[in-house]
Amino acid sequence: MENILEIKELSKNFKGLKAVSDVTFSVEKGAITGLIGSNGAGKTTTFNMISGVLVPSSGKILYNGKDITGLKPYHYTSMGIARTFQIMKPLKHMTVLDNVASGALYGRKGYQSTKQAKEYAEEILQNTGLYDKRYCLPGDMGTPFKKRLELARALATDPELLLLDEVMAGLNPTETDEAVELIRKINEDGTTILLIEHVMRAVASLCKKVVMMHHGEKITEGMPQEVMNDPYVIEIYLGKEES
Amino acid sequence: MKKRIGSRQILLLIMLFLVALIPMFIKTPYILSILVMTFYTASASLAWSILGGMTGQISLGHAAFMGLGAYISTLLLMNANFTPWVSIIVVFFVVGGISALLLSPCFHLRGPYFSLVTIAFGEAFRNLLTNWNYAGKGQGLLLPFGDNSLILMRFKSKAPYFYLALVMVILMYLLVKYIDQSKLGYALKTVREDEDTANAIGINPWKYKVIATFISCGLVAVCGVFYASYIRFISPDIMMQDQSVKFVLPAVIGGIGSAIGPLIGAIILTPLSEYLNATLSSIAPGANLLVYAVILIVVILFQPRGIMGWYENSKFKIKLNNWLDKLDGRKKE
Repeated sequence: MENILEIKELSKNFKGLKAVSDVTFSVEKGAITGLIGSNGAGKTTTFNMISGVLVPSSGKILYNGKDITGLKPYHYTSMGIARTFQIMKPLKHMTVLDNVASGALYGRKGYQSTKQAKEYAEEILQNTGLYDKRYCLPGDMGTPFKKRLELARALATDPELLLLDEVMAGLNPTETDEAVELIRKINEDGTTILLIEHVMRAVASLCKKVVMMHHGEKITEGMPQEVMNDPYVIEIYLGKEES
Repeated sequence: MKKRIGSRQILLLIMLFLVALIPMFIKTPYILSILVMTFYTASASLAWSILGGMTGQISLGHAAFMGLGAYISTLLLMNANFTPWVSIIVVFFVVGGISALLLSPCFHLRGPYFSLVTIAFGEAFRNLLTNWNYAGKGQGLLLPFGDNSLILMRFKSKAPYFYLALVMVILMYLLVKYIDQSKLGYALKTVREDEDTANAIGINPWKYKVIATFISCGLVAVCGVFYASYIRFISPDIMMQDQSVKFVLPAVIGGIGSAIGPLIGAIILTPLSEYLNATLSSIAPGANLLVYAVILIVVILFQPRGIMGWYENSKFKIKLNNWLDKLDGRKKE
């Protein structure tokens, strides 16, 4: 399979601190790839570089074979890359429908009329289970729905590659299962997904490939089961067993 | 859902018709002048709300852009015999362009820092005109007097100005309402709510701030053309920063972020300040400002989202809508 996204020796320094150093991995087209690691491993920094929020200190990001390193974030939507934020950033004073309609208007669908955009947004809301809440303000909804809203807004831009930053954090087991189903459905509809996640159950059931990061470096990558049984990975997550 | 003319539209038309009839019955110039100033303030506040309310960039320098509009149209009238009607178009593009150009490097500043820059620009323009011989220096400019003339926007009675101002405020409202519902409006509101989100869905915040500034400052300059034609005397004082606040307050009190907010705010605030001025300033000079300030503080303290913010979440809205639906004979869905 061809790769939709290739990360080559990506590094980011914040003054003296090396947040990410020499990370190389690729995302296969049509699959779900997971990015895991403990807190502070540099996952979100990597994400921010891939989505254009941060400019890498060195290294390259290739999207469909094209070098996109250092492009401004608003160029990414028309290329077909959408993202969600770990700390949810809903448009607070706009209804759920308007939130998603904004994404539809400026996404790849290129709607000119707000009416068409709203119709498309309603379709997305139905698929993401938010339709009943379409006239709510984001502040009146709980975390699971806000996470879904992040997802719905990103989907409304009609992406080819979806970057999900911890969409399952703070959800209870039932809600997590629902989210897993939703992400699987989105993937089956043809969207490639790169996700950051701490919920290992979700990662194991969704991802085809997992990339493990620690202290800004890539430790290992491979099938979820392989990575999770790697002694070093277990050591990082659970500590060393005393002999 | 089919659109048809219901009780809402009919009530609105009746109200407009009644407002339009006012000069037939009230001949007192004082009352009419208050109404003209109400419409003018509402127009300027609506123009301000495109940048301040919709895009969330609180400008405190709009009086300077209004003043620029007034000065440009007056100078064109006095030196080139330009009719204010053409000046409206000239001023919209010139002042819109100048302000967008000047403020464009400042959009990386957020919140109060942006407001400070707009205050500085306002003061800079005021000082420029205070020291510029061609523009009458600090004494200002007196527009030529003469017979009634629609072309020169010059009338001896208040009634024609009343209608001009009424048309201006209606057009301004319709324009703001249209932008609010348009694709552009969605971009502006997204930028206001969260710039990171805007970036993430393909909106370039800087570009849309420039567009909003162009439209907002251009429109407030158009209000300036009307102001000059109505007052017939302009001086750098109209660019004072407290004048900018007069455009901001109706939007804040009426409800930032809704198209009708600035309109309602101006309808309440302008007559209120006039009334307080007339009744209290004879008792103790300055007392009117004190009471005015207290009213403002109370409203902002207890209703930070303004009158429209209260209305949107109130039982009154539901009751009103039910009553109107009943008038239409429509059943509740």
